[in-house]
Amino acid sequence: MSAAWTICRKEWRVMLDTPLGYVVATAFLLASGFFFGKNLFLFGEAEMRGYFEVLPMLLLFFVPAMSMRMLADEVHDGSYELLATLPVSTWSIVLGKYLAVGGQVLMLFLATLVYPFSLVMLGDIDAGQIAASYLAALLLVSCYVSVSLYASSLTRRAVIAYVLGFGLLLGVFLLGETIATLPPLWQDWLVLLSPLSHYERMLRGVIGLEDLMLLLAWTAVFLTLCWFQLERRRWQ
Amino acid sequence: MIRAEQLTRHFGQVPAVQQLDFHVRKGEVMGLLGPNGAGKSTTMKMLTCFLPPSEGTASIDGITIDEAMAVRRRIGYLPENAPSYVDLDVSTHLQFVGRMHALPSATLQDRMREMAALCGLEGVMGRRIDELSKGYRQRVGLAASMLHDPVCLILDEPTTGLDPNQIVEIRHLIRRLGESKTVLLSSHVLSEVEAVCDRMMIIDQGRLRAIGTAAELAQLAQNGVEVYVRFKQDGERVIERLQRDELDIRPAQEPHAWLIHCADADTALAEQVFYAAVACDAVIVEMRTARTSLEDVFHRITGSAEKET
Repeated sequence: MSAAWTICRKEWRVMLDTPLGYVVATAFLLASGFFFGKNLFLFGEAEMRGYFEVLPMLLLFFVPAMSMRMLADEVHDGSYELLATLPVSTWSIVLGKYLAVGGQVLMLFLATLVYPFSLVMLGDIDAGQIAASYLAALLLVSCYVSVSLYASSLTRRAVIAYVLGFGLLLGVFLLGETIATLPPLWQDWLVLLSPLSHYERMLRGVIGLEDLMLLLAWTAVFLTLCWFQLERRRWQ
Repeated sequence: MIRAEQLTRHFGQVPAVQQLDFHVRKGEVMGLLGPNGAGKSTTMKMLTCFLPPSEGTASIDGITIDEAMAVRRRIGYLPENAPSYVDLDVSTHLQFVGRMHALPSATLQDRMREMAALCGLEGVMGRRIDELSKGYRQRVGLAASMLHDPVCLILDEPTTGLDPNQIVEIRHLIRRLGESKTVLLSSHVLSEVEAVCDRMMIIDQGRLRAIGTAAELAQLAQNGVEVYVRFKQDGERVIERLQRDELDIRPAQEPHAWLIHCADADTALAEQVFYAAVACDAVIVEMRTARTSLEDVFHRITGSAEKET
């Protein structure tokens, strides 16, 4: 765990030293501000539901951008050989990268806390629902980060990793969006498997164990796939 | 200290390293020589537990490579082209490597100071690695590989891409390290291996072809007699005449110069060349019995392997 934490801190340091991190963070906060402000000023709704509803689509663009170079660049630059010959397990490498991106998004979410605090000044808010929405958003981010990291482990090029990550996440996104158009039997399965349907349930302020488990299971599956891909490279 | 037993690695159906057996003694600087694609880097990657072997095994300091974590704590590895985190400054990069080796903070600071002094990095500790020259990056890689005071250093082509002055500096550094540590370094620069290493092994097409000191390898290859001859003109007719006697002839570095080798050590080869030159009316400017250089050894060993295939 300490090796994973060291990798995570190194990634944060790189993010602070390079413009990409700032560009992505600024763009995310601007986009977040736009969607939050749209509901507040255009429709006069002092709530965050509209923002959280658009968040999965917003993250679709930003999470792959934050994850794309995590493993692809390591392999491309040859530094993966350096990293993998240090006394660290492949699991720690995957976990360290996951914590690094997850932590970056968490920082951005902390910055968006200014929205609920500003709503408090305008009127009553449903604090429980907003807290549940933030928890849902964090779990969805966890799922998105693991999918994007897996994409980054598949290639040596960061740009290709972005496209792959975006494509995979779009698949996850559409899995939730197309449910209504499918036969009932499929609908039941997709509702069960789609991270988005569980995310939307949590937005209502209801946190079910199956929602938590499903979103964490997506994370675990894709982190395992990422580990598997890195191990597979050694045997190829 | 380093022992390989029947070490083998295939990439798909292609054998990269085949049944490699060798032993590097404690406190020895061993050179791993071979042409490009011979399997040097693959061998090193197996020793550092980056690639698992397809067959066979190896051990470092008595610990087999199956125990990857224990092996990695004992080795310092400089991969080819000395990759590092170029977005970081030298100090942060070294701190990262030290923390990965779980060095306590105080020890890490001391070791960083020592390594910076040893590798000549004091003036660039605060600079980003992507702003440094290739030579400095190589030094950063070396410093990172030695930070945790490993018992064994594995250096993959440590002088590639350096200018002549930097090469001399790195060689001196490796020589100094060899006084206290076991070093395995790969290179295809023969003079470098000759200058730095106590012993060397030559691998080609993934197989170990020879192992020993420079003198032992020269003796191994000195199966016969060799004459260096330089003609005033090109001497082609003389060479054609000598080739009829089934001698092994190849051009030397100088113009109109040749190295003529005969497997039978009792042959009066110099006389034979002289009479051939007289018969062809060619003028000999210089002729001497050639000393078998490491280049000759390398050429013969790897050349004969090519003929076998």
